[in-house]
Amino acid sequence: MVHALRRKLASRIMVTLTALSAAIAVSALLAVLAFVAIRGAGALNVDLLTQLPTPVGVPGGGVANALVGSLIVIGVAALLAIPVGLGAGIYLSEFGGNRFDDLVRYLADVLSGVPSIVIGIFVYNLIVSRQGHFSALSGGVALSIMMLPSIIRTTDEMLRMVPDTQREAALALGITRWRTIVSVVLPGARAGVTTGILLAVARVAGETAPLLFTAFGNPYWSARIDAPIATLPHTLFTYAISPYSDWQSKAWGTALILTAMMLITSILARRSRRFA
Amino acid sequence: MRKSALLAVIVLVAVLAAGCSAAGGRDAATAPSATGAASGTEASAASTAGSVELTGAGASFPYPLYSRWLYEYAFVNPVPRINYQSIGSGGGIRQITEQNVDFAGSDAVLNSEQKAAAPGLMMLPTVAGAVVLAYSIETPSGEAIANGLRLTPEVIAAIFLGQITTWNDPALVELNPDTVLPDREIVVAHRSDGSGTSFIFTSYLSSVSEEWLSRVGAGTAVEWPVGLGGKGNEGVAGIVKEQPGSIGYVELAYAEQNGLSYAHVANREGIFVEPSLASTTAASNAAIAEMPEDLGQVLVNAEGAESYPIAGYTFLLVYQDMPDCAKAREVQGMIEWMMSDEADAYAEELLYAPLGDEVKALVLEQLEGLTCEGGQPIP
Repeated sequence: MVHALRRKLASRIMVTLTALSAAIAVSALLAVLAFVAIRGAGALNVDLLTQLPTPVGVPGGGVANALVGSLIVIGVAALLAIPVGLGAGIYLSEFGGNRFDDLVRYLADVLSGVPSIVIGIFVYNLIVSRQGHFSALSGGVALSIMMLPSIIRTTDEMLRMVPDTQREAALALGITRWRTIVSVVLPGARAGVTTGILLAVARVAGETAPLLFTAFGNPYWSARIDAPIATLPHTLFTYAISPYSDWQSKAWGTALILTAMMLITSILARRSRRFA
Repeated sequence: MRKSALLAVIVLVAVLAAGCSAAGGRDAATAPSATGAASGTEASAASTAGSVELTGAGASFPYPLYSRWLYEYAFVNPVPRINYQSIGSGGGIRQITEQNVDFAGSDAVLNSEQKAAAPGLMMLPTVAGAVVLAYSIETPSGEAIANGLRLTPEVIAAIFLGQITTWNDPALVELNPDTVLPDREIVVAHRSDGSGTSFIFTSYLSSVSEEWLSRVGAGTAVEWPVGLGGKGNEGVAGIVKEQPGSIGYVELAYAEQNGLSYAHVANREGIFVEPSLASTTAASNAAIAEMPEDLGQVLVNAEGAESYPIAGYTFLLVYQDMPDCAKAREVQGMIEWMMSDEADAYAEELLYAPLGDEVKALVLEQLEGLTCEGGQPIP
């Protein structure tokens, strides 16, 4: 009797503790979102979304160039990372089974743990240093390296979840191997793969460190891929550390824009999974 | 089985090629516009506007001022599009040495190693800044102690060496007979990152304290004997704001903007001076006699009754001979404008101290000596 009571009690305590942990984890996220929303809402206005930046002491001004710049840099990154990531994922899941793909998986995991500033410095040496100038392209390359591991791993895992019976059925019908992959396996895993890509995009959208020495920043409009370009996280960073309340408030507005962008991407990712 | 393996390789290569050509193709497609006019949006603006692009990087301390200056300068002269980014003094020196940028900003004076790595690099002061000792202490009755606590060089060094550890230390009480100091431990706050502010402050301590010079020395990052580290001016200001009994060094603008109280410091003449734009410019004027030929002056502990002793210049770094004449002309014009009265007014608005007139004259003289493309005169 006493024994059972003790077990019940222990169970209660542990369940409460885990529930508490879950609550803390969720409330941390909610607190961050609420804080950014409250502080950012005051700074959010049409100017912030449509105007070029102004210096301290000049009213108005916004981060429109950084908004466009972020989209360009992320676009370049996606263009580079998605084909390579998908290809590598397909290789691992469909043609693997040897020591090479264990190595690839292991290295992809290692790459995802490399600090983002290190990737920034690597790309700086690889591109910026050789070309002799900063560029949107180098920023895109840095972000694409950060996107690769998660695209590779999710593609790999999602393709593996497609039952082998489907592959065998296709092959039994005389369909070629590559046709099977393109028309049977990939469509079967489309939702999961899309989610992986979108989460990879959301993950790099907020990165500042790899852009410091690559995309560099720019107070003007620029859509050129070979010139320095402004990005939201970098603009947020420079505004946030300034002593002036004017810029600090713009930093909160920028934080809200950035958070909203990432939230929308994450929600899109979830929806794409649901409608699988 | 062999066939399928081959197919896999083909797919992979095709995908890789697609990825590479996406990168290479874009690069090649846009490459001509780098040398030619510019993209469509720029071409639609005034025909001359943005026809020369200058890129600069470096010190974060003058970044708010430079962005204001460049914004205003664009109305004066719309030809150059000038982009200055704050990446820190050390980063700026590296970028100008590798010639990834057209000019750099630095709060620290170039050392001999850096000069050797970048021959022909000139240091041109643009404005001066004051480093203040900010504190938050309350009297035993709970009132915050406002601006004007008096500190001498000896006491400041002793606090940062960890030799004076309480606010009611006899040395502090003697200096401030009118203030009731609490029996509270002193919490020292300093920078944890490499910084021009630290360079100015440690240069000051080294110039006033033998012990500091031998034990710690001057530099952008040093081994602090005591205290808490904060990242950036904002980090130190944060510690001082939050921690009762703390003292730290920050740029004047950060102390003012954060509403921190700061000390009056005894200068070389033994006079207690309030840190201000006027007392910083006074230091710049007074130190002109000791100005080295390359203008790389560490402006601490200047002579003169009105001089605030913990001050420093921030510099623009440019090559005496620039590889591009069009760019050289714009760099010259930009820095000339920075020495104007109009530019001074913007500096004061943002709490930066304008240079003394004689220093400005020296900068303008240096600018006259600029050449381009291997010794040609600036067009």
